[in-house]
Amino acid sequence: MSTYLFSARDMTCTVPSQDGERTIFQGLSFDIDAGEIVDLVGPSGAGKSSLLTAFARLNPHADGTMFLDGRPATEFSPQQWRRRVAYLPQKPVLIGENVAQVIRLPWTLAIRNDDDAEQDANRLSDRRLQAHGKRRRSGIWGTTHNGVDMLPDAKIRATLDAMGCDDIDLARAPHDLSGGQAARVSLARTLLTDPSLLLADEVDAGLDDANAAKVAAILSNAAARGMAVIRIRHRPPDGVATRTVTLDEGGLR
Amino acid sequence: MNTANIIMLASASLPGSAPHFAGAAQATRAVARTVAQSATQTAVHTSSGTSYPIDIWGLLIALAMVMVASGLSWLMHLGIGKTLLWSACRALVQLCAMGFIMGYVITSGNPWLVLVLICVMLVAAVQITLSRAKGVPKGLAGPVLLTLVITMLLMISMVTELVVRPRPWYAPQLVVPLTGMLLGNTVSALAVGLSRFYESMKERRDEVDTLLALGATRWEAARPSVISSIRLGLLPTTASLASSGIVTIPGMMAGQVIAGGDPLNAAKYQFVILASIAALTLLADTLIMVMVYRTCFTPDDQYRETPIVEHKKK
Repeated sequence: MSTYLFSARDMTCTVPSQDGERTIFQGLSFDIDAGEIVDLVGPSGAGKSSLLTAFARLNPHADGTMFLDGRPATEFSPQQWRRRVAYLPQKPVLIGENVAQVIRLPWTLAIRNDDDAEQDANRLSDRRLQAHGKRRRSGIWGTTHNGVDMLPDAKIRATLDAMGCDDIDLARAPHDLSGGQAARVSLARTLLTDPSLLLADEVDAGLDDANAAKVAAILSNAAARGMAVIRIRHRPPDGVATRTVTLDEGGLR
Repeated sequence: MNTANIIMLASASLPGSAPHFAGAAQATRAVARTVAQSATQTAVHTSSGTSYPIDIWGLLIALAMVMVASGLSWLMHLGIGKTLLWSACRALVQLCAMGFIMGYVITSGNPWLVLVLICVMLVAAVQITLSRAKGVPKGLAGPVLLTLVITMLLMISMVTELVVRPRPWYAPQLVVPLTGMLLGNTVSALAVGLSRFYESMKERRDEVDTLLALGATRWEAARPSVISSIRLGLLPTTASLASSGIVTIPGMMAGQVIAGGDPLNAAKYQFVILASIAALTLLADTLIMVMVYRTCFTPDDQYRETPIVEHKKK
């Protein structure tokens, strides 16, 4: 349908409120290409986060038609979709005993372990799965993989160092991290899963300028490697974005 | 009325009809032994066994104890006295009613009456589970009933028909108390498990959203809550398994011993009951979790703030 990496048409979000329903936005369209960084700005309460969660199919109040590589969203299972369209929440929620476990969490999930779970021919980590060779079972009884063979400590270390996160020790407990470190670990966890489109919800909010600059550098590096990025930002423009769109009064400008 | 009394009552009303029924046979043997060795003359010998029946004064004394405790709580402004007294009166009425009904069902020996009684117990169990579970969505009666029915059928088929093998197979003096004991345990385990699950899903909201965003299935996102709720629901059961025999003499064993049964045989009975109840409580909690965890998610695997029980549309 389009040549864009990701397209959204007719995005609508209606939330229940005291007096019936309230429309946050209606009939929005949006396109983004690989390698682009788009800043999404607008007054608070305009529905920026709702739009990003809608893109990741995480928003139960939103509706619309979306395409990835020209294929409609309905062809993907929610897990297949979210594997490629990754939403990164503003508040870093780090699950695990230490940083290594936190970063490995996505690799313990069925979507990255089950051959049946993913039929997408274009997927990027196909080689990784084949290299592992063994077919694993998971399902209702839960996953047993710890992700160590798919994401060894050395690789996490190298990636963190390349991201300018050499101050973060893999054995640290997540609650010992500073706010800036936690935000970068959360970002690294999602980046390592190699999504096609990254939806970054105010990941540099509450960070000092040095940390914000690090996050911006990490994102522009990812974009240079072909990842599309949509950022919600409240900071002054940092020159990283390829364009800026404004969400206001239910419309995109 | 305790189990041993019921067993004894049964052996009196159905003479020679339960040769496989170890408890009853044991009780009859115990009579002979007690008569022979009887050192204490306070024991009342009846045709069915050595028991110490409780008269109306006994009930009044027990009730009086509750009243004194309630009075104390009233003096100390604890605010629990009224509930305690009311619950005690309710329990007295319920237990006596159950005693009468069980006595009637046992003497009648009618399998349909047993079935009716068990159905009534099941319905009451569902109602109690749902009223005790806090913060659960409406419409869980179906899954709870199904869970209770499955575990109850397993209890009856395994414990009654495989371990004890009574004759007739539906022996009410065995089936009804066993069902009661199982339901008592599963009801509290289910109520605790369900409350904990929905509470945990609320607390873990950010974590669930993060997991879903990283591509987790709804089961993977709900699993930590499921595990913590099953663990919590099973806590009393594992505790009672560990403490039985050292700290506590569980109700069923105590009943058989008080009624003059062989303590070793009573211990064997108690173990079979404790073990099967532990296994079936775990099964019940797992079953209910597998059936209800979906209520916290939309069909598109999104977190749902207010859980809903969806009925499949045709």
